[in-house]
Amino acid sequence: MMSTIKNIVLIASTLTVTSGCSSLGLGVEPWERDLLAKKEMLLNASPVDSALDDHIYFSKEASSGGKGFGGGGCGCN
Amino acid sequence: MKNLIKPVQFIIGFIVLVTVTFTTNAQSNQTPVASSKTLLEQTLLEHKGKVIYIDFWASWCVPCRKSFPWMNTIQDKYKQQGFTVVSINLDANKALAEKFLIEMPASFPVIYDPKGKLAKHFNIQGMPSSMLIGRDGTIKSRHTGFFTNKIKQYQQEIEQFLTEKEVK
Amino acid sequence: MKNITEKPNIKAVLTIAAATLLGTNSLAHAESNTFETEPDEWKFDTAILYYSEADRVSAGEAIFNAQKTFDTEEILNLKLTIDTLTGASANGAVAQPTVQTFTRPSGNGQYQIAPAETPLDDTFRDTRVQLNAQWTQPIAPDYTASGGLHLSKEYDYLSLGINGNIAVDFDRKNSTFSAGFSYFKDTFSPEGGLPQAFSSMLIGDSNADSWDDDFSATRIGSEDDKTTVDILLGFTQVINRRMLMQFNYSYSTVDGYLTDPFKVLSVVNNNGEAQDYIYESRPDSRVKQSVFAQSLYHFDTTVLDVSYRYMWDDWKIKSHTIDSRFRIPLGDSFGKESYLQPHFRFYQQSAADFYQPFLIDNESIPAFASADYRIGEMTAYTVGLKYGMLVNNGHELSFRIEYYSQRPTDAGFDEIGVLKSVDLYPSVDAVIAQVTYSF
Repeated sequence: MMSTIKNIVLIASTLTVTSGCSSLGLGVEPWERDLLAKKEMLLNASPVDSALDDHIYFSKEASSGGKGFGGGGCGCN
Repeated sequence: MKNLIKPVQFIIGFIVLVTVTFTTNAQSNQTPVASSKTLLEQTLLEHKGKVIYIDFWASWCVPCRKSFPWMNTIQDKYKQQGFTVVSINLDANKALAEKFLIEMPASFPVIYDPKGKLAKHFNIQGMPSSMLIGRDGTIKSRHTGFFTNKIKQYQQEIEQFLTEKEVK
Repeated sequence: MKNITEKPNIKAVLTIAAATLLGTNSLAHAESNTFETEPDEWKFDTAILYYSEADRVSAGEAIFNAQKTFDTEEILNLKLTIDTLTGASANGAVAQPTVQTFTRPSGNGQYQIAPAETPLDDTFRDTRVQLNAQWTQPIAPDYTASGGLHLSKEYDYLSLGINGNIAVDFDRKNSTFSAGFSYFKDTFSPEGGLPQAFSSMLIGDSNADSWDDDFSATRIGSEDDKTTVDILLGFTQVINRRMLMQFNYSYSTVDGYLTDPFKVLSVVNNNGEAQDYIYESRPDSRVKQSVFAQSLYHFDTTVLDVSYRYMWDDWKIKSHTIDSRFRIPLGDSFGKESYLQPHFRFYQQSAADFYQPFLIDNESIPAFASADYRIGEMTAYTVGLKYGMLVNNGHELSFRIEYYSQRPTDAGFDEIGVLKSVDLYPSVDAVIAQVTYSF
């Protein structure tokens, strides 16, 4: 019962977030992505640097990961 | 279907509007500032009766850049049958578009719409986008995105509308 | 994959290349080349990095990455990583005002540490080779899926992994949801085998006849393994023409042998004098969670990238990471389309609940204990600068130099007796230098 309620709440809030973001005026038209299309505006702009740094930091510290993928960019196709 | 009504009205409306504006302005000795809508209208008028492939593109869009050689190819291939590509550039910075066109010249008209007014009007959903206009001036088909493995399909569509005679 | 500075460090096993896999080898790397002019060709990145701590570990790492985007929008990414490390790292014992003697992890020989110096074991040298393959493709309009494999091998360590993820776009691709998982199986066969938890380090003469038997008596086995499962949920949102944000939640669980078989704790008397060195012991499972937020903002010409991560786990470690980069294009005056990019990172973690810098001989030994400063309380800073430019027809060459300072701090343990006169929490400072060529 509880887990069903939790699932409903989760799905409802997810849908709210997605529809909410556009009604909050967030986002751009597909032709307004000139800056977002640039390499330096990617969430992981230098994957080689990130891979090397991640290796160093999880060797020397107790934390690692947490970074994601997907989204942003030119939005083409 | 309802996607086509508004743009069709727009095209017909602007044909009328431009004709009126031109005759009015000629009389009042004023030179109108050419907006992107005006330029598109003029171009469509010029190519009335032809099958027109309208393409929305920008220099920062990789699939747009990929589609250029193909658009030059179809321009050359079908123009004798009454066909033209009309491209609408959406670069906010026109200089970047011009830079691209130096590397990759277009054999078809390029209309600059840096503020995206035409894109907004036609409710463009993604980059690139294309619309195929039949000989009767109505929008026959729309595509979002450009996929090289769909080139055959795009060309078949064009050929289909080329065989239609102009509706008088 | 083991860590870069400890040859046989199971602690690295804690979250392996799951981080590398989910964060850099999958869709994120695929996206890095979406702005190329000829996406159907192969694109290569090669990089060499040199890492050096003052008086401690040095490492060299090389990456060779190849990526191909197909006509059908699929992306194949292949990566080869090779690293070698040499030098000395802390063995967990505390410094003393007198000379100390320790036995090497393999059991073959002893080494001595001068008075007041932090005990470091310099027997670490190893080479590691890693292969990654990642395949990404659209599976429906607005749906992209990716999957990959990982293999990492060094003399005494094997890591095998698999990952998969999916990203869904909404609202003209202004919003993206992503979900990913990874699974790793690591096997470790350290030289000298695995020591009995909390057994005393055998110190004597490795050449003595009875040594081999005595040494094996302290060992419980020659190899062990661990498995790691990671789940990542992400949400990316375009804010406006200049700004992009991402929010992630990750959950990671590791089970198996998580102890570092080469680390000891000093057992001291009430005057802080070491009486014994005993091998550490950690729990056989760890559950970590993190939340992460990143924001990218494009000013007139410069780009600011700032991110924050908060991590917490069932070892009671909590950490904060703030990472920021600021890209400054220099135009063509200092090299074609060149740029400078300063970098600043701040990291802070609290100690694991079983972390102890040392043990006192009249206290009972706890269930788990480790003096590894890397699960202790610490603050770390990185400052760096990167310079890049285009050469040879559009290829990119870049140089990066960074300074990384780790400062372990006192997590609230009384320094008793002679321990007051030595540095229990020495800082570790490193210089990082990297050259990358992309073509």
